[in-house]
Amino acid sequence: MKPVLRKSVLILLVLMTLLVSAGTALAQVRVVATTTSMGMLARTVGGDAVEVTVLAPPDRDAHYLQARPSMMVELRRADLLVAVGAELEVGWLPAALQGAANPRILPGRLGYFEAAAQIPLLEGDGVADRALGDVHPMGNPHVNMDPLRMVQVARALADRLAAMQPQTAEIMRANAERFAGMVEARLGDWRSRVEGAPGIVLFHRDANYLMARLGVPILGYIEPLPGIPPSARHLQALVSELQGRKGVVVHIGHQPAQGPQFVGSTLGWPVFSLPLDPPLQADGEGYLKMIDLWVEAIAKGKG
Amino acid sequence: MRKVFLAGALAALCFVHPAMAQETTVDHGEGLKPFPLFGSSRQVTSGTTFNPAISVIFDGKYYNDNVDGEAGEILEHADGFHGHHGDHEHGELSRGFNLGETELVFSASVDNYMDAFLNLAIESDGIEIEEAFGITRSLPGGLQLKFGKFFSGIGYQNDKHPHEWHFADQALAYQLLLGDHGLNDIGIQLTWLPELPVYTLVGVEAFQGTSEAISNVVDDAEEFGLRQRSGPRLFTGFLKVAPDLGFNHAMRAGLFGGVSRLHQEEHDDGVLQFLEGDTWFAGADLVYKYTSGKAYGMGNLVLQSEYIYREKDLELAFDDDPAKTLGASQDSNQDGFYIQGIYGFAPRWTAGARLDMVGLTNTVARDGVKTDYDDSRRYSAALTFNPTEFSRFRVQFNRGDIAVDGERERFNQVLLQYQLALGVHGAHKF
Repeated sequence: MKPVLRKSVLILLVLMTLLVSAGTALAQVRVVATTTSMGMLARTVGGDAVEVTVLAPPDRDAHYLQARPSMMVELRRADLLVAVGAELEVGWLPAALQGAANPRILPGRLGYFEAAAQIPLLEGDGVADRALGDVHPMGNPHVNMDPLRMVQVARALADRLAAMQPQTAEIMRANAERFAGMVEARLGDWRSRVEGAPGIVLFHRDANYLMARLGVPILGYIEPLPGIPPSARHLQALVSELQGRKGVVVHIGHQPAQGPQFVGSTLGWPVFSLPLDPPLQADGEGYLKMIDLWVEAIAKGKG
Repeated sequence: MRKVFLAGALAALCFVHPAMAQETTVDHGEGLKPFPLFGSSRQVTSGTTFNPAISVIFDGKYYNDNVDGEAGEILEHADGFHGHHGDHEHGELSRGFNLGETELVFSASVDNYMDAFLNLAIESDGIEIEEAFGITRSLPGGLQLKFGKFFSGIGYQNDKHPHEWHFADQALAYQLLLGDHGLNDIGIQLTWLPELPVYTLVGVEAFQGTSEAISNVVDDAEEFGLRQRSGPRLFTGFLKVAPDLGFNHAMRAGLFGGVSRLHQEEHDDGVLQFLEGDTWFAGADLVYKYTSGKAYGMGNLVLQSEYIYREKDLELAFDDDPAKTLGASQDSNQDGFYIQGIYGFAPRWTAGARLDMVGLTNTVARDGVKTDYDDSRRYSAALTFNPTEFSRFRVQFNRGDIAVDGERERFNQVLLQYQLALGVHGAHKF
């Protein structure tokens, strides 16, 4: 072998070794989260050990998405899928999963994680009659609105990530506990701020977990049944029922504002448009800020 | 998009539903639950748990036209496309009320290796197995294998069930070049989704070859001295590519083609004739979708277009008239395309427009003597109301401008359609 050739072979070998070792050192768990709340959890718990992609932007109704091919690209390379579950994503995630041809992240496998499966659900009365609207017999899927349930989910997610990457297990569990601490630290403040709040009118049953957690009465819904747009008759009935009482009306950015505005202006209540999920790149702090917004809005009902 | 798509998606039925049903009832967070004081009256059985996910889709139409109900007939006689149809009429609508096909969809995971899917179309004159296939769920490397009877993965519209269409009827290019149901056959499909930054799907298929418009086989071939050839006789391939355009936009482009090693046609215009030979086709499809993020589908847009080219190289294989020379060639080259747009102009309401054109290339060479035929067109407009994801009402208007024997035959059609869906909430395919 000529010296030059030998040298270049040597350099090549060194480079390859470096590349391989760099590859193992940086082997992040590739997490695909369906919503930004789930992305926040994965980022908060996983820290540097995960690379997170979110499928649904925060300004969208996660019920009604399209299974885009770009989702399949993300799911194809994912090690772990973090979904909200309880059929929130039933209209598109199964199709995206089917198209992604990635057996690692199918339900039942180590790479499939569903928040709703980690915690007790509200409203899981099993009534499966669509005459009652777009019901979820398994329970209300909007679990991301309860910070304490999110703590439970964070702990379960830390366990799952630890199973996938044992060398970072301790860090991930510590991260979950740090998130738990952040939530605990604010809970008292939130409760005292909404203490004595008269209640809230929601558009959809999407913030019920937060209201249950903070003990805020839900006075009514803008939509007559889940998934059904508000009718004039329903709004009139709602207004006449709530006449003379106090409260606030809250709807999500993607829900139409006319119904909430009508109810709010007729009753003389403040109307707020709030997010249901934190911004795209949010961390734990970003999520808690979103809950802060809700607490602030609910407190306004005291007048 | 808010569409009614209950059954379409194998995945909903197979992947998520059973898992969710089981997991969400388990109280992971709070530890074990105490038994109720007087004992549970629940029956502990796996009977219902193991049942497949089921959905039922109802479809019905009111139809009328201004040509005494003959619009379907006129279409079948479009110049260059007339000829190979037997005496059975399919999917032809009577003026007045029509019950469309009622779809029964079953699906579940067979085991940890496979899912299975069954779609039965029940019509007044019987049950047709529209799809009955198994599909792998555990192959590595982005590979998936599908086997049984299914809609071919070519194009965009081909593997969509009628309840996933944006119009009450099939695009003309599909109907006249590939058959009423598109390409639906018994066979095997292998797809590969390589791990690339851009969505790229490659698929190959081998089918028995029983598709009416491109790989028809005459039942009593032997009796007329026709060729017999064992299956698979039809081979297809497709490529789909979709760039990532962010959360609001999605686009997918595709190329596809296929070859049939045997195609036989029966012609009976007073004298019985059989033609046989081989066929091939190729095409391209393009879909663009915009989602506005507004409630109830308002502001959403879907644009889709497909082009199909078909060549049939046949020869005369049997003729009741002994004066005819057997082996005389008949080569046809035909194509067609459609372009359509669907826009959510109000909450729960969509408006759609479609242009169908077939026979832009439309030649038939009999024994080397080439005849050029005119093209045929159809203009459609549809207005659809979706009360929920599970129900849909549509009114559609078609204006046909069809070349028949060198003349232009024009007709107007009106369709009122309902579609209702029961059962599990299926996922919406792209």
